[in-house]
Amino acid sequence: MDNQFLINVSNISFSFDGNPDHKVLENISFASGVDEFVSIVGPSGCGKSTMLRIIAGLIKPLSGKVLYKGTEIKHPIKDVAFVFQDFALMPWLNVLDNVKLGLSYSDLSDSDKTNRALDLLTKFGLSGFSGAYPNILSGGMKQRVGIARAIASEPRVLLMDEPFSALDELTANSLRSDILFMLHNKDISVNSVIMVTHNVEEAVELSSHIVILSEKPTKIKEIKEIDMKYPRNKHDKRFSGYVDDIYNTLISQY
Amino acid sequence: MENLITTTLTLLIDTSYSWIRMFLALGLSIVISLFVGIYAARSKRAEKIIMPLVDILQTLPILAFFPFAIYLVILFVPGAVGVNVAVIGLIVTSMIWNIIFGVYESIKTIPKAVLEVADLYRLGILSKLRKIFIPAAMPRVIGQSILSWSIGLFYLVTSEIFSTGSTNYTVSGIGVDLTRLAFSDNYYGYIIGIVIFFCFVIITRFAFFSPLEKYFNRTQKQYVSTEDDHTKFISGGNVKSSAGAFVKYIKSNLRSFGLSNMRSWINSIYAAVKEYRRILAISLLVVLSLIGFLYALNILNGTLASYEYQSLYALAYSFIRVWGTFFAIFLISVPVSIYLIFLTKNIGRYVLLFQILASIPATILLPIIVRSTMSMPFHSEIVAFVVLFLSGIWYMIFSVIASHGSIPSETNEVKNIFGVRGLLAFKKIYLKAITPGLITGAVTAIAAEWNATIVAEYFTSSGIQNGTVLSSVNIGVGKLLDLTLNSGNLLQMLIVLINFVILIVVINRLVWNKLYNKVETVYG
Ligand SMILES: Nc1ncnc2c1ncn2[C@@H]1O[C@H](COP(=O)(O)OP(=O)(O)OP(=O)(O)O)[C@@H](O)[C@H]1O
Ligand SMILES: [Mg+2]
Repeated sequence: MDNQFLINVSNISFSFDGNPDHKVLENISFASGVDEFVSIVGPSGCGKSTMLRIIAGLIKPLSGKVLYKGTEIKHPIKDVAFVFQDFALMPWLNVLDNVKLGLSYSDLSDSDKTNRALDLLTKFGLSGFSGAYPNILSGGMKQRVGIARAIASEPRVLLMDEPFSALDELTANSLRSDILFMLHNKDISVNSVIMVTHNVEEAVELSSHIVILSEKPTKIKEIKEIDMKYPRNKHDKRFSGYVDDIYNTLISQY
Repeated sequence: MENLITTTLTLLIDTSYSWIRMFLALGLSIVISLFVGIYAARSKRAEKIIMPLVDILQTLPILAFFPFAIYLVILFVPGAVGVNVAVIGLIVTSMIWNIIFGVYESIKTIPKAVLEVADLYRLGILSKLRKIFIPAAMPRVIGQSILSWSIGLFYLVTSEIFSTGSTNYTVSGIGVDLTRLAFSDNYYGYIIGIVIFFCFVIITRFAFFSPLEKYFNRTQKQYVSTEDDHTKFISGGNVKSSAGAFVKYIKSNLRSFGLSNMRSWINSIYAAVKEYRRILAISLLVVLSLIGFLYALNILNGTLASYEYQSLYALAYSFIRVWGTFFAIFLISVPVSIYLIFLTKNIGRYVLLFQILASIPATILLPIIVRSTMSMPFHSEIVAFVVLFLSGIWYMIFSVIASHGSIPSETNEVKNIFGVRGLLAFKKIYLKAITPGLITGAVTAIAAEWNATIVAEYFTSSGIQNGTVLSSVNIGVGKLLDLTLNSGNLLQMLIVLINFVILIVVINRLVWNKLYNKVETVYG
């Protein structure tokens, strides 16, 4: 069963001070398999970002495990990459060098890394900007650099923390389809996406499963499967049915 | 025993005198800085004049200008009052510049919306000052005041004893006491004095600055504490792996000295020469025209020419001393800064520790430093190095810490997620992240070093005792200024100062402006 899923989150609990009485997360379990897109939604401050950082191996859980293909994740690994809400580009590196940071794990020579990064920039419509510093880029361009950096090392799993919330709706939309394209395209390494979001419509539009979290101490209220074909039409009755359903679960008191 | 008690009492009273002058000077500096800083930030025309001026003034050894000012002050306000006014004035000139910068920058970064709201409600200039400008500036003012306090203490000794021409002035203060005790070989008294001084420093930090910091940061408290949490949160548990990374970095760096890299080394040296061709050419031109100038001057007026020659010669020597020491400061502050910003969770505690350490000025330790190095070869150079080092290092470190805010909070996470390690992490993340802080720190550290040459290069017992020379470098601009001051040769002093100013301005133009512009294109 472990191998069927790329990421297996099992019984994760967490507290910032290590005190089990101050738990932020309590017994969280879910999984994400090949070709799956899992969204995590929940009230603000409930610990979504913390959850994602635990999956990435950036912080250690109080108890429970995160498995990647059956092996426990204890620190960040090459096959799992991360896209940040505020892009987290290094302001002192130009676009090319920022993307090359994503190739740090790889054994390629420096010039091969440069070529690969330039390739990616072309794919993301940023070919003219390789020498530019992040301060002159628009939000959408910055996030494209962030995504290019994340997929540069050909990860199998992409973790994203509210990747579109700092962008305007139009830009966000085009990036959403880029992500779906990457997930479903066999030539691109990414096989599984786990995304934190505030935006229920976005979650329904993209996800195969939506993990709905409660207030602190945060538990899973429900995991919803979205059974619709891509691309999904927002005006479809079933679409708005899912959206309403998830809203109701989010605000329900239990 | 009785003797010890009277000494202690005298020391306590005199330290209090020094502290009263320090507080008056600080209050005065803050009030003036608020006006000047706010004015400069709000008026385009004032900004153009004030800021470059402040920039130069903070780089110049104000100490050296002081005799002129003393003459004037004592001329108008004679007697003990005049001397005290002069001393407070001297401390103000050491404290004020970075407070002005702090005010200016805080006002400049007030969000536009806030100012628009103020206009919307038609706040008058006074209520704008009271409700917006001053509250916006105060957190930075307090932060800068802590630094200014250390700078003031550095010049305490020098400010309490000074001579113009053949007249010596002293006021009651711990600076005078310590020097006197050291000269009379009263080591018990000296140690008691240092302990009292240290206690005053600590009490001031905790009983005066800490409450102020708390009070003025209350509106930003939320921000400050979440930031703290964040650093804790992201660097948790990474200290060990980072130390490992550092060792790996050193190893791989050693490897890169191998032959295979010879060619790239030569290439980069060639590129550097090419890049600095212009500077080399200009320097050559400057040297040649200076020689020509000296020849011409010599024909016109032999004395002037010899003054000019001495100034240039002394400046060249001090330049090497100041920049050489700076190199050592740089080598130490890079790893220390990286440790503070990326590898430790306790940055707040270190900052406090460093602030206290920085408040113990090299000048009060000078008598001991001089004594303990007396028998070493090059003892005066060692004294100069130690004093210059101590006067510059803290600027570097505090400046990097202050620039911490412009480093994205996710930096460590990015580094870990993408497995950036070893030399790559050092080059692409650590070093580049602290570069802006290093550059601003370097400017102020070098300015502080130049300022300190007057204390570092020449040390006598004049004003206290018979004027025995205790430490004196061979040649140096600080020494030259001291000598011309002692002999009352104001013409020569003026010439030295003019050369000094020109050198500082040229360096600002050639080196710092260039670096600033580079930083600006990345962060601007
Ligand atoms: N270092 C820390 N120490 C203590 N508490 C923290 C720390 N970091 C975050 N928290 C708290 O833990 C909770 C979870 O934080 P987290 O950022 O994971 O929530 P989130 O669901 O992502 O919130 P948002 O919706 O605002 O993005 C929040 O209440 C936050 O205040
Ligand atoms: Mg979050």
